[in-house]
Amino acid sequence: MECSDIQEKLSAYMEGIISHGEKVLIDGHLKACQKCSGSLADLKKTLEYVQNLEEVEPPPWLTGKVMASLRSEGAPKRQIFQRLFYPLHIKLPIEALATIFIAVATIYVFKTMQPEMEGAKAPPAEITSRIPLQEKEKTSPLDEGKPLPAKPTEKFMFSEEREISPGKSLEPPKAPARIAKRDEVEPLADAIGKREYKRKALSPELRAALVERERKGVSLTIDVKDIETAGREIEKAFIKLGGKIIKKEYFDQRNIIAAELDAKKVKDLFEKLNVLGEVKEKALTLETREGDIEIRIEITKIPRGP
Amino acid sequence: MRETEQKTTDEDYEFVSLCKEGDVDAFEVLVRKHQKRMLNIAYRMIGNYEEACDVVQDAFISAYRSIKGFKGKAKFSTWLYTIVMNLSKNRLKQLRTQLHREKFSIDDPVLTNSGQIRGELASIGPSALESLERRDVQQKVQECINSLDEEFREVLILRDIQGFSYDEIGDVLTVPEGTVKSRLFRAREAVKDCLKKVIGDL
Repeated sequence: MECSDIQEKLSAYMEGIISHGEKVLIDGHLKACQKCSGSLADLKKTLEYVQNLEEVEPPPWLTGKVMASLRSEGAPKRQIFQRLFYPLHIKLPIEALATIFIAVATIYVFKTMQPEMEGAKAPPAEITSRIPLQEKEKTSPLDEGKPLPAKPTEKFMFSEEREISPGKSLEPPKAPARIAKRDEVEPLADAIGKREYKRKALSPELRAALVERERKGVSLTIDVKDIETAGREIEKAFIKLGGKIIKKEYFDQRNIIAAELDAKKVKDLFEKLNVLGEVKEKALTLETREGDIEIRIEITKIPRGP
Repeated sequence: MRETEQKTTDEDYEFVSLCKEGDVDAFEVLVRKHQKRMLNIAYRMIGNYEEACDVVQDAFISAYRSIKGFKGKAKFSTWLYTIVMNLSKNRLKQLRTQLHREKFSIDDPVLTNSGQIRGELASIGPSALESLERRDVQQKVQECINSLDEEFREVLILRDIQGFSYDEIGDVLTVPEGTVKSRLFRAREAVKDCLKKVIGDL
């Protein structure tokens, strides 16, 4: 063995973590080699120096400082947690109330704004000028009994009404699609148009249009004491009879409910209505009808007193 | 099987469990128990008492934060020593770049031991002289350890100063035992050469 080999193993030799064979070899070499035995001595001395290094004591504040920072770390966490979740039982109801308030306020504002919006968005002049023009076509004797051209009537008709009208099947197949489209595009103008002419009820042509339109379905008036309760009762009756409510309009002294109902069930409805109040029929062409028809009920309040 | 064995042999197991349940006071027991050894490891690694104290604090804090991740595969103390060792190495890196930026030599003020300053303040008497001499030697040994590369420094500290078994050193440093041995022997040789230079005859 060379000295360099021996010196490499001196550390392990010193610790006694070396095979017996190697130990014997090194023992023999160390006896003969002064340099290597000197190295071993130096190594032992070095180890002694290193092992004699004094231990340092931790400063007395060390534990306290560690624990303080751990505890203060935990504390704000809890505070944040509490701030976020503790007042939940207060915050949630407040939020819920606020949501409801906003919803109610929105509805209220919308309702109070509606008449103004109508006035602003649909100048009456346009509608009144259009209506007579369309009515002429519609009320002309030639058109009687035939399906109405889609375009002139669309301002006055519900799309559903057209679907249930008897002549509808005779209409050109393109028309419904177009109508539906127009209705989608101009729902507001449509509604405004309807309301406008109802409210103003201006010209004889308009009246005629009303009559014409209502001949398509059943239109009736019912006088009741409590229009709201009656309205609910009528809605219930419709639903019970398998009808579909199309539209509800609320006014000061009258409510209007429009619904689709199987013609066969109309009689049942009438029975119901007769219980609720005094029914006045405006137009009744029931007997000739089949399938669903539109029924428009105007609920009016009985004037107080005699 | 091994794990349950570890749990029964790890005397800190009970307190560690309490800590996992969020008992901060249980952790205080562990801090008190291990702080000295932690500090000595950090101190020998860094060579500066204040820095070592800082590192030990950080080590305990990060140990507490991650105590839920401690699975008990090794002893809790071993896990702690791993943390303090890693933080010490990080701190050394920081100090080195800091020193480099401030254009100080590495073995200038920061790594100078407190012994020198105290030596200047001490009154010169026979016992004080002896103490000064002893401190001087200690200082020189530390300087020699400081001169080692980290990978050699850490094994020397854990084995020859802290007296850990090779097995445990392997766990702390996550290196194979053979590597620990060969690094250790080279570290000793390097310290020996260094001491010969600074002290003269050993």
